[in-house]
Amino acid sequence: MDNPLTLDPLFQLGPVPITAPVLVTWGLIVLIGGGAYFATRHLTLRPGKIQTLLELFVTTIDGQLRDTLNRDPAPYRALIGTVFLFVLLANWCSLIPGIEPPTAHIETDAALALVVFAATLGYGVATRGLRGYLATFAEPSWVMIPLNIIEQITRTFSLIVRLFGNIMSGVFVVGIVLSLAGLFVPIPLMALELLTGAVQAYIFAVLATVFIGAAVGERPKRNLSSQEVSKP
Amino acid sequence: MHIDWWTLGLQTINAVILIWILARFLFRPVARMLDERQAVTQAALDAAEAAQQGADRARATAEAEAEALNAAHAARLAEARDAAAREKSRLMAETEAALEKARDAAEAELAGLRRAQQGELRDKAGTLALEIAERLLSRLPDPLPLSGFIDGLAEAVAELPEATRTELGRTGPIGLRAAAEPTEAEREALKSRLGTVLGRPVEIDVTTDPGLIAGLELDASTAMVRNNLRADLERIKAELSDE
Amino acid sequence: MTGNLIEIVSILAAAIAVSFGAIGPALAEGRAVAAAMDAIARQPEAAGTLSRTLFVGLAMIETMAIYTLVIALLVLFANPFV
Repeated sequence: MDNPLTLDPLFQLGPVPITAPVLVTWGLIVLIGGGAYFATRHLTLRPGKIQTLLELFVTTIDGQLRDTLNRDPAPYRALIGTVFLFVLLANWCSLIPGIEPPTAHIETDAALALVVFAATLGYGVATRGLRGYLATFAEPSWVMIPLNIIEQITRTFSLIVRLFGNIMSGVFVVGIVLSLAGLFVPIPLMALELLTGAVQAYIFAVLATVFIGAAVGERPKRNLSSQEVSKP
Repeated sequence: MHIDWWTLGLQTINAVILIWILARFLFRPVARMLDERQAVTQAALDAAEAAQQGADRARATAEAEAEALNAAHAARLAEARDAAAREKSRLMAETEAALEKARDAAEAELAGLRRAQQGELRDKAGTLALEIAERLLSRLPDPLPLSGFIDGLAEAVAELPEATRTELGRTGPIGLRAAAEPTEAEREALKSRLGTVLGRPVEIDVTTDPGLIAGLELDASTAMVRNNLRADLERIKAELSDE
Repeated sequence: MTGNLIEIVSILAAAIAVSFGAIGPALAEGRAVAAAMDAIARQPEAAGTLSRTLFVGLAMIETMAIYTLVIALLVLFANPFV
């Protein structure tokens, strides 16, 4: 059985080895970006079906952001929406035969979590100023400074491993069942993977929102998410 | 555990590019469109509200007009009713007056008729009485003696005007009509009575007229002295008719 | 032999990690589902919100088991001692 934790480069692009997740991600970028470009080229005041769907998507994300952050969702909309959309579609890539989800490899998840981490820092500094943002690490007292720093790292790591473990284990389990039982047997497991992929995309987006909300200084309303935040 | 750092870097770049692409081509246009639609909807709502207010005002105006119209209508109706009532009362009064007049006229006519009838009746009664008296008198066996009438005639002649008296009997004998042929004594008595009254001797010419029933009648050219029953009866009759 | 021993221990460790790591999340998921059922039975009109929160919570709990799975896989495929 292949080692699910390692990657073999498909080909070399100059000095850069291109692996399967990068290729799939490019395909997804072309698909999503082209779809968005063609879908939003002719926006009208009287929406068609596609425009209604897009508006519903944007409105839902705005509502979630407003609920969690209690502020105008416009600056965060693109980041959170893109993360959610990309993770969702990447998770569902497993439906296409021969394509492994990019999120089943830890590099993609780590990249996304790094982007979220950088965005957290950036939004925090932009909203509170550098001094104000650094001061949040000394809350509620200066004793907590190491713990807060560790928390920043561990929660990002937990974000990575959660997504990676869920998707990778799904792919792994489907692969094992396929190798043991043959065709058609893993279909219920694949359906379960669809659900897991959607839920994990939602959780990833919500946790990113919560991190950003904590950075910009808005008490998160979701107890479930905030408890999870402190978990290593 | 092995981490492919190239893949990690490429995926990070990919993620950033995808975020930029979606922000540029998906979220910003859709959000702008949403804002635009919200603005348009707001404007439409405002316009609708304004139109609603306009309609409310128009309706209020129309209601006020209708009210005024109703009031005018009611006033005109009341006026017409008053006029009709006045006309009716006037007509009734007129009719009543006309009726009154007609009744009065009828009453007057009736009274006149009755009076005429009465007069006629009285006339008839007088005529009847006259006839009765005539018949009764004509049935008398002996006509009434003239002597009873001579004094009355003389008194009547005495009361005649002076001119008539002087004229009387000057040109000839005085014309007398008697109910029956007078006796000699009566003729003498007449002659002497008239002579004393007139202050001179007179001649008389007596003609017989049974129509007088009883009595005398003096016929001068300018005067007539009647002292007989016929004249009495006629006078009575006239008096009766005049009542 | 030493390498063989390490591999045997690694396989045993992976099996133990997954089996014991599955106990806690299994109990927790059972409790969560039971509580959600109770809540839905009390308030059927809130079933939509409850089931959505339940799924998210289950995914969170399941993450614990996934962690152990990741550890097991690390032990099996990325064992630094092999």
